[in-house]
Amino acid sequence: MPAVQETIDQVRQIDVDQYKYGFETKIEMDKAPKGLSEDIIRLISSKKNEPEWMLEWRLEAYRRWLTMDEPSWARVKYPKIDFNEIHYYAAPKGTTGPKSLEEVDPELLKVYEKLGIPLKEQEILAGVEKSKIAVDAVFDSVSVVTTFKEELKKAGVIFMSISEAMREHPDLVRKYLGTVVPQSDNFYATLNSAVFTDGSFVYVPKGVRCPMELSTYFRINERNTGQFERTLIIADEGAYVSYLEGCTAPQRDENQLHAAVVELIALDDAEIKYSTVQNWYPGDKHGKGGIYNFVTKRGDCRGKNSKISWTQVETGSAITWKYPSCILRGDGSRGEFYSIAVSNGHQQVDSGTKMIHLGKNTSSRIISKGIAAGVSDNTYRGQVSAHRKAENARNFTQCDSLLIGDKCGAHTVPYIEAKNSTAQFEHEATTSKISEDQLFYCLQRGIPEEQAIALIVNGFVKEVIQELPMEFAVEAQKLIGISLEGSVG
Amino acid sequence: MNMQQAIKMTAAETALVDAYTAQIGDLPGDGAVLSLRDMLVDELKTAGLPTRRVESWHYTDLRTLLRAVPSADPSAFADRVDPIVPGSSVLSVRNGQADLKSVPEGIAARSYTESLIDGSAVAGLAVLGADDAIGRINGGLVRGGLEITIAEGAEFQAPIEIQVAQSHGQAHTRFPISFGAGSKATVIERHLSTNAEASFVSSVSDVTLAEGADVIWIIVQQQGPADTHLGQIRFDLGKSAKLHLFVINAGGKLVRQELHGRASGEGADLTLRGINLLGGESHTDVTFTLTHAVPHTTSSEIIRNVIFDRARGVFQGKILVAKDAQKTDAKMACNTLLLSDEADMSAKPELEIFADDVQCGHGATVADIDHTQLFYMLARGIPEKKARAMLVNAFVAEIVEELEDDEALVEALEGVISAWLEKHA
Repeated sequence: MPAVQETIDQVRQIDVDQYKYGFETKIEMDKAPKGLSEDIIRLISSKKNEPEWMLEWRLEAYRRWLTMDEPSWARVKYPKIDFNEIHYYAAPKGTTGPKSLEEVDPELLKVYEKLGIPLKEQEILAGVEKSKIAVDAVFDSVSVVTTFKEELKKAGVIFMSISEAMREHPDLVRKYLGTVVPQSDNFYATLNSAVFTDGSFVYVPKGVRCPMELSTYFRINERNTGQFERTLIIADEGAYVSYLEGCTAPQRDENQLHAAVVELIALDDAEIKYSTVQNWYPGDKHGKGGIYNFVTKRGDCRGKNSKISWTQVETGSAITWKYPSCILRGDGSRGEFYSIAVSNGHQQVDSGTKMIHLGKNTSSRIISKGIAAGVSDNTYRGQVSAHRKAENARNFTQCDSLLIGDKCGAHTVPYIEAKNSTAQFEHEATTSKISEDQLFYCLQRGIPEEQAIALIVNGFVKEVIQELPMEFAVEAQKLIGISLEGSVG
Repeated sequence: MNMQQAIKMTAAETALVDAYTAQIGDLPGDGAVLSLRDMLVDELKTAGLPTRRVESWHYTDLRTLLRAVPSADPSAFADRVDPIVPGSSVLSVRNGQADLKSVPEGIAARSYTESLIDGSAVAGLAVLGADDAIGRINGGLVRGGLEITIAEGAEFQAPIEIQVAQSHGQAHTRFPISFGAGSKATVIERHLSTNAEASFVSSVSDVTLAEGADVIWIIVQQQGPADTHLGQIRFDLGKSAKLHLFVINAGGKLVRQELHGRASGEGADLTLRGINLLGGESHTDVTFTLTHAVPHTTSSEIIRNVIFDRARGVFQGKILVAKDAQKTDAKMACNTLLLSDEADMSAKPELEIFADDVQCGHGATVADIDHTQLFYMLARGIPEKKARAMLVNAFVAEIVEELEDDEALVEALEGVISAWLEKHA
């Protein structure tokens, strides 16, 4: 079966040792001492010139975090993390926050050039064929630059680093921060609430359709640091925004922690589309090093007829622990989750989503594709629930796993909870190599075997790929290393 | 006994521990059996009953749900009732005591109490793991049951009904049963109560199928409306063994039926069918795990739940395909008709797969009666109540009909279902 073989070969090619973004940049850094204490939190807060209430909020989270235990229910194994061996703040020297491009250290700009991230507005504007993407570049603990700010401002869209937003739009931040993922949510979210250093803030005002794609590019560079970013996106009534997130890190023998929190809020008739291509360093082929990616992402469809859609392509990280969720609070709101999770080498993925139906006539759709290779473990874990008053809640879930090699594992753990008789839930999951039934069906219709297999493999992830914005779709396909389009014949 | 006290015991936990303490001199078995019992009850004391924080009990928080446990009453007496399928051979256990008066030919049966007394029961008394609360309660308190051996090549025309009847109080029974190579039988494990008084029942069946055995095993749970039923069946399928396991839950207030199996011989095949009929304020949990341990084994599971009133249904199903268990074919479905806005259903169908050349899938649906189907029937002049009843009946009857080879059996099971539906729908 040549197509299958090709798929297997291509997955092998993206073997963990061939991580392209593993370079390290020597940049003079301003670091907080290792360890975590109230003093460190005060330091972070003062470095960022934060208002007093923010410091109080952080300290409250920290005190709560001290009483919490690390969760152990996920299907991942890793040695105990020493939270006192981490630098909670690391910023390139001389950056107190993003400023104009001219002022940014050229070394830093080179990093992004190397990563292929367009930061120079002129360049992008000059290129007729390239579409415009506004980028917020986060380097270790701080946002170094945000592009297209002026142009976005004209449309009324606020796009800046969250530290900047805290100073410039404190009321907005205060009104929404922590309202989707509360301080007490879970161990890592609480830790993040205490120590988050930067991230992006987006506010799209009433009735505005954001004129370009917004994106944040996260880069971990410094040794022994953790990256704790916090993203807050608000789409006011009738607004629309599409947001992309990418991430990479250098190749190192030690594990590094990334514990982010993302909060999305969609008011009446608003729509947020959030896409992630996650390519943190996954560790080497012996399972040494790599990022621990423990992330809390949640969207709140607060208004009626609002919509939040998560699309993720997960190829990196030694461990992924991530469940982008939707709270369908507004009547008629809709949540979507599209995911491709590829695990290879010693990677462990435990990822999925939650769709919590609270309002009337809410609907959700989950499409999850897991591809496990090497000695990796790939788990889909998801929850769909309809509460008592969630009349006519509707869910469709499909999670498929493809196994390549006999040393990996693929697992599916869905939780389906219906408390309303008008709810209609459908869930299906499959795990296989290539379905004999599908193949037979194609053959019966006169499609040659080779083409039929290509068709099926193409089809396996296509549903998710096509949810990504164009530029990311291309990157994602490259990343997965499975050339789906025209891989055979 | 180690009297380490880790938790504040609930009334039910205290009642179970007290039941043990009160009977300690009286429970069959000493030596290894007694020290194992001590250990199990001690674990119950220190860990308590499982809560929702224990993953395998996530939807059945036994510690909260089990409010009271009736005390054991040695004078309880249950009458023998007619078997479900007329003409079956009946082996009966009443209020926990085996009645060996009429053992059918080809079956070697002895009272499990004897195995406890002579110590041969000790190996089978061990729990399946830290979460095995049923094994723990049962192992600590078991008094009787039946140990049955079906001879190699034996075949039975009529079903064998193991009738476990209870009037009130407590009963803890065990049924280690081995089917010889090439044997063929239909067994009905039936749990019923003879009156409406509350009883607390735990029962563990330990079933082994040798090479080529072909068994239909039917669990019919018809406990009373106030009863707690904690049932468990463990099964092991040898080479080319075939088990058709059929579970009907049509009774009880708090029910947990666990099904734990292992396909350990190549060519083994499991068919699991379940019908759970829930009404009133009952809580019924069916938890199933199956390990495909070797290559070339197959399984298919279909569970149908019908939930009325304020009842709560739970289905947890986990199919584990071990490393190297290539060519496994496993399909699991759980379909639920949720017929009341105050009812609820939670399902967790899991796949855990460590081999690549497999075909595994699961599906789960939850919905009300299909409105177009209902409309179709109403348009033909069938009154709504009747139309609904017909659709509910069709939803579950479909899987009973798979047992078509035995007409009397299909008729009997349909009888159990329609009797229940008449009472509740």
